[in-house]
Amino acid sequence: MATRTVQFEIRRQASPDAPAVWESFELAWRAGMNVTSALMEIAGNPVTSHGCQTTPVTYDSNCLEEICGSCAMRINGRARMACSALVDNLDQPIRVEPLSKFPLVRDLQVDRSVLFENLKAVKAWVPIDGTYDLGPGPRVFPQEQEVNYPLSNCISCTCCMEACPQFNEATGFVGAATIAQVKLFNSHPTGKVLKEERLRALAGDGGIQECGFAQNCVEVCPKRIPLTNTISSVSRDVLLQKIKDFLGS
Amino acid sequence: METAESTATPAGRPTVHSGVQPLRAGEGISFLCRKLHSLVGIVPLGAFLLEHLLSNYEALKGPAAYGAQVQFLNSLPLVRLLEWVFIFLPLLYHGFYGAWIWLRGRSNIVYYPWAGNWLYAVQRYTGLVAILYIGQHVIRQRFMGVSLPEHPYAAFAKVQHELANPWMLAVYIVAMIAICWHFSYGIWLFAAKWGITPGAMARKRFGYICAALGLGLAILGLASIWAFVGPEYRDQGSGIRDQGPKPEVRQPGLVAEANGVLGSGLPELISHNRTSGEVFVA
Repeated sequence: MATRTVQFEIRRQASPDAPAVWESFELAWRAGMNVTSALMEIAGNPVTSHGCQTTPVTYDSNCLEEICGSCAMRINGRARMACSALVDNLDQPIRVEPLSKFPLVRDLQVDRSVLFENLKAVKAWVPIDGTYDLGPGPRVFPQEQEVNYPLSNCISCTCCMEACPQFNEATGFVGAATIAQVKLFNSHPTGKVLKEERLRALAGDGGIQECGFAQNCVEVCPKRIPLTNTISSVSRDVLLQKIKDFLGS
Repeated sequence: METAESTATPAGRPTVHSGVQPLRAGEGISFLCRKLHSLVGIVPLGAFLLEHLLSNYEALKGPAAYGAQVQFLNSLPLVRLLEWVFIFLPLLYHGFYGAWIWLRGRSNIVYYPWAGNWLYAVQRYTGLVAILYIGQHVIRQRFMGVSLPEHPYAAFAKVQHELANPWMLAVYIVAMIAICWHFSYGIWLFAAKWGITPGAMARKRFGYICAALGLGLAILGLASIWAFVGPEYRDQGSGIRDQGPKPEVRQPGLVAEANGVLGSGLPELISHNRTSGEVFVA
């Protein structure tokens, strides 16, 4: 009896400047297997479908339950989390590639630090450092919590940026994730002390104006963050801030 | 044992790139440029498109009514200044900055074939059609041939002559649809990107409104094209017919002016009509 198998094609690159190659793997099918579990199996027995010994595939992953944001990669061309990419729902052979818009480290591992730089550029934090106890923060109404909670779900996976036609080296667009964090921290009763600075930052080159509203971000977001709604409302805030700055408030 | 190196399929040259640079907070003027591009598309360009399509619709009432509309528009105060400030310069800016935006985008509908992503791409292609079409349209209809500001009643004949060429007719029809699409989706984009429709439901509903507007404008525009190519005014527009009933003319100077104006373009007009098998001149 032929056992059911799963075909993988994985794009590999030993180093940032090494040539990229495709390697194919064939694994025994198991119920509920996903792309990360398949990569782990390959690591346990790194032999290609041609029977050649190879090295374990390098990739980022951590939580394995779509909450840490590490394992974003292109699966059948589309940016998504490998841990929640169930093999049974994918066309085979399953083509696995690294995210294309970030500097490659090795195999499926890329350097996504641009997101961290962007979050720093918009001061995506609540400033509470001080020399004395500030006491409890202000109350947040449940209605506001309902709006803000989805934004706080961002796992910094960068799928929204990878899928965005405007996020590239020509525009240097900031990407949807950072804009959503601006909305989150501007809505926070303490965090909004930096609201104007965040909005001004988003009007710099590569800012919110580069959005072309292709809406891929909201489609690929694994956490279903309402990114297009957020871009729309933050765009208005940025515009009003720039008008105030221009006219002198 | 065979090595993996020998069986692996090459997947292309190494892609060494520095990656996308971070946000340049406080730097540059792209925010102003991009917002201006967006605004200019609605006002004055969108407003002018509405005016133009409504004016064209006068053609359905015949050459005289169309000529009167052209004369009215050319009688506006400071009309040459209005033309440059509210039409030509905004067109140049919107067109060239739009092309610049397109060149810097990386469309990816192959992997993400969703409605919004298709519309993103279509907005760029319709924009390209608009640039090419409007370029030739302005040059040929405004700056070449009979000067319409001085001879408004020659307008119908000029357009009729242009559209007598089936290739040019096809260009006008394609461009009419592309531009109405570009404008109506442009309004939708404007509302989305300026925070007028921040909710998904608002964007959906406004999408229906914009679709209806675009469809309405395209029908209006195509109906006007029909006025120039349909049978009703086929032998009246040029005002060069010597036999049979004269076109209904309210303005006393119409026929004389049209005849005088078309003096230079007349032989071309006649020969064209002869080649198409219709002889208007005895």
